[in-house]
Amino acid sequence: MKFTRTMLCVAVGALALALAACGSSESGSSSGSSSSAGANGASAVTPPPGYQSSVDESLSGKRGGTLEVLQEADFEHLDPGISYFALDYEVVFATQRPLYSNKPNQNETVPDMAASAPEVSADGKTITVHLKEGIHFSPPVNREVTAQDVAYAIERGANENVANPYLQSYFASIEGMPQAKGGPVKGIETPNKHEIVFHLTEPKGTFVAEALCLPITAAVPKEYAEKFDKNKPSNYAAYEVATGPYMLKNNAAGKVLGVGYVPGKSATLVRNPNWNAKTDFRPAYLNEINIKIGGTQAVIDRQVLEGSDVVQNEPVAQSAVRLAAEHYKSQLDLSPGGGNRYITLNSKSGPFTNINLRKAVWAALDREALDKVRGGSLVSNVATHFIYPTIPGFTQAGGLAGPKLDYDEHPEGNLAVAEKYMKLAGYPSGKYTGTKTVQVVGASSSPEKEDAEIVNQTLKKLGFNTKLTLVEIATMYAKYCNVPKEEIEVCPTVGWIADFADPQTVLKPTFDGEGIVATGNVNQGQFDDPTINAAMKAAETVNGKENRAKAWGKIDDELVENAAAIPYDWEKAPRLEASDVHGVAMLWNEGAWDYSFTSLK
Amino acid sequence: MIRYIIRRLLWGVLLLVIVAALTFVLFRVLPTANPALLRAGRDPQPGLVKEIERLLGLNKSLPVQFWEYMKEIFLHFQFGYSYYSQEGVRSLIGERVSATLSLTVGAAVLWILGGLSVGVISALRRHTLVDRFAMGGALVAISAPEFWLGFVFLLLFASDIGKFKIFPGAGSYVGLTYDPWKWFTSLIMPWVVLASGASAIFARLMRSSLSEAMGEDYIRTARAKGLPERRVVRHGVRAAINPIITLFGLEVGVLLGGALLVESVFNIPGVGELNYKAIGQSDFPVTQGTVLLAAMFIILANIVVDVAYAYLDPRVRYS
Repeated sequence: MKFTRTMLCVAVGALALALAACGSSESGSSSGSSSSAGANGASAVTPPPGYQSSVDESLSGKRGGTLEVLQEADFEHLDPGISYFALDYEVVFATQRPLYSNKPNQNETVPDMAASAPEVSADGKTITVHLKEGIHFSPPVNREVTAQDVAYAIERGANENVANPYLQSYFASIEGMPQAKGGPVKGIETPNKHEIVFHLTEPKGTFVAEALCLPITAAVPKEYAEKFDKNKPSNYAAYEVATGPYMLKNNAAGKVLGVGYVPGKSATLVRNPNWNAKTDFRPAYLNEINIKIGGTQAVIDRQVLEGSDVVQNEPVAQSAVRLAAEHYKSQLDLSPGGGNRYITLNSKSGPFTNINLRKAVWAALDREALDKVRGGSLVSNVATHFIYPTIPGFTQAGGLAGPKLDYDEHPEGNLAVAEKYMKLAGYPSGKYTGTKTVQVVGASSSPEKEDAEIVNQTLKKLGFNTKLTLVEIATMYAKYCNVPKEEIEVCPTVGWIADFADPQTVLKPTFDGEGIVATGNVNQGQFDDPTINAAMKAAETVNGKENRAKAWGKIDDELVENAAAIPYDWEKAPRLEASDVHGVAMLWNEGAWDYSFTSLK
Repeated sequence: MIRYIIRRLLWGVLLLVIVAALTFVLFRVLPTANPALLRAGRDPQPGLVKEIERLLGLNKSLPVQFWEYMKEIFLHFQFGYSYYSQEGVRSLIGERVSATLSLTVGAAVLWILGGLSVGVISALRRHTLVDRFAMGGALVAISAPEFWLGFVFLLLFASDIGKFKIFPGAGSYVGLTYDPWKWFTSLIMPWVVLASGASAIFARLMRSSLSEAMGEDYIRTARAKGLPERRVVRHGVRAAINPIITLFGLEVGVLLGGALLVESVFNIPGVGELNYKAIGQSDFPVTQGTVLLAAMFIILANIVVDVAYAYLDPRVRYS
């Protein structure tokens, strides 16, 4: 199973540049992909022409009609204060308006509930956001949205009945937020109905301003939601109101659960009667979106390819991608920016505390083979570093080619280079002669299982005695790879997807030595380099998008030089649509559908 | 007879308590992952994990959790709340039980009728072409996994993706009260797929059991007395059916397991589909609830079988 937790607001290269690159005869790489760089280095690896729908095309979409959506998995949380999953975001971003949002194919966020770009003070410690006037909540609330509603939406995230999963990761520098329990937060002020000010304890203005595109900033009416938030856990989602062009169908009392959302069965989005198109950049062509939950991927893929007015809604099975690429080319939508995958080697204990052994494994590894088991160049690129295409800092970190290092330059694997590093590591024969048996823990599903086997064989070639354990993917993370005391030497199938368009969200959680925790540890290799930790700390407070791209691009270089882990794959996200649907994908959200831009032909 | 039924019912209740305790151990004591960790996002902060543990009641000691869990089940028939939708598990199951019953009861009828009639015909026409064809078909049906067979049926006969567009495809299920005809047509393929394996086993068992019975002395006597062949066969079937009844109880469990896959392939929003999704999300209260419900059905089916058996063979109730 693919690691599906969402990335939010991930950047894509500027549309014009991307389209230019797409159409340029000079831009194609050997894999059939091309790249373009935005001003902040957020390069977009654009798929071959004909695969990806664009905003420009969708602006001439046909108004009206009902779209049917088929998805195997159910939603996790549709409450904008809890939601943190690509699938959930499709509904959340069609029904809610955060302060800032992404247009489907653009890397820059644009004002949504906000009237203009955030004003970050010179010292980086104050952010002021002005709100648009004339935005109203859907029935039964109906009244105009105010800054107090946005403040409440963020504050309720700290209420333990809501327990937002990313609040303290991105908003902890707001004054009083670390101690917050759901009540007013000292650092959030609302001087008037249409202005909200955030006071920070550290100069992290640019970073926090970027995070204002997360759905937690979508307004929630306190007088309506408070009674639901008192329940343990909050059941606001069962009665939630909308600010976006669509709303989950509800009854007169506002009840959504069992009406517009039946867990495990369906969700129905209808037009929000209080939505004012003049305040929004979304065209919202469709009249209704009917989401059918359940079924089997293999059947769904067929139903979509041969169906009408229907789209498929999850990562597609490899066989279906191949089928679509061969016979239904115009119905295959491929989005870059599906995250990175890498192999972690335990740098805290065991043989891989030796940096040269880590480099030797990197050099010997056939990353092209790993790429092929995932479907090859159509759906992925061989990774050469950690910040992946579409994220600012990608170009600064070396772009597609990556840094010029001998152990990184041979994606097909090079045993001669590997031998050089084995010797540097103190093994003159070029083979590992230690007695330690290396624990390799991978996922038992395909293609993760094949990944693990390729890595295991590479280790054996270098002389390591290995013990390969394959378990269900959730178990791999929760019981082995994310638990430092288990001392797993190699986790071959981990990966990461950014939460929004900032490189810090790719590198800091995964490689900051100061962030290592006893359980749920996402720095699986326990990489802990004081110099890099300090560089990250400094880069956190760098303001200005370009400056941040440079600072974090440099950290990426250092991580590669220290072989903090072995990156092997930058994923693209495939989706299928019926031939009479003009599906527009949110490139910043793993290529999930943007219902506010999708239309019927 | 009444004492026998009461005894069986009491055993059934005891068995349910044991199953409930086992599911608690399986899903709460030995889980593969802390549900709070799964709910806490990709980069779970320790403080947040503790908050969620409190929210889900996972911070209480295991004996307290166990007591509350058993109390809720046996006093209020409540199985807790889904970690994700926060909806009560009882209501989640309640919304889906009619779909599962539609599927399994229909399949059971088909499997009994199909299995028994094919078995009887084969036994009476032993070593003929009909017999060989029927038993060959049964072997294929036993060997074909439901998941695969379902997919083959859809590719052949579904109105959307099938080669021959005859029956409504995956996702077409509607409730009986909503549209009886649509309900019926949407279930034809799922019934056939779900019933095929068990039906084939029944057919083979019935064939061998009836063949044996038809060779008994009392059958020869009946024929010698000049009874019409139809009545002779009826005597044979009555004697041959006892082992089939025993098997029926056991097959209910297999049927429910198969329903999980068939519901998934044909996108029927039943309890099996609910369980399948809950397993994928580590939504333990839902998994526990569905497992307990399945156990209840199996125990009930076995009690019915035991009573039927005791009725047909009085020696059983005195033993």
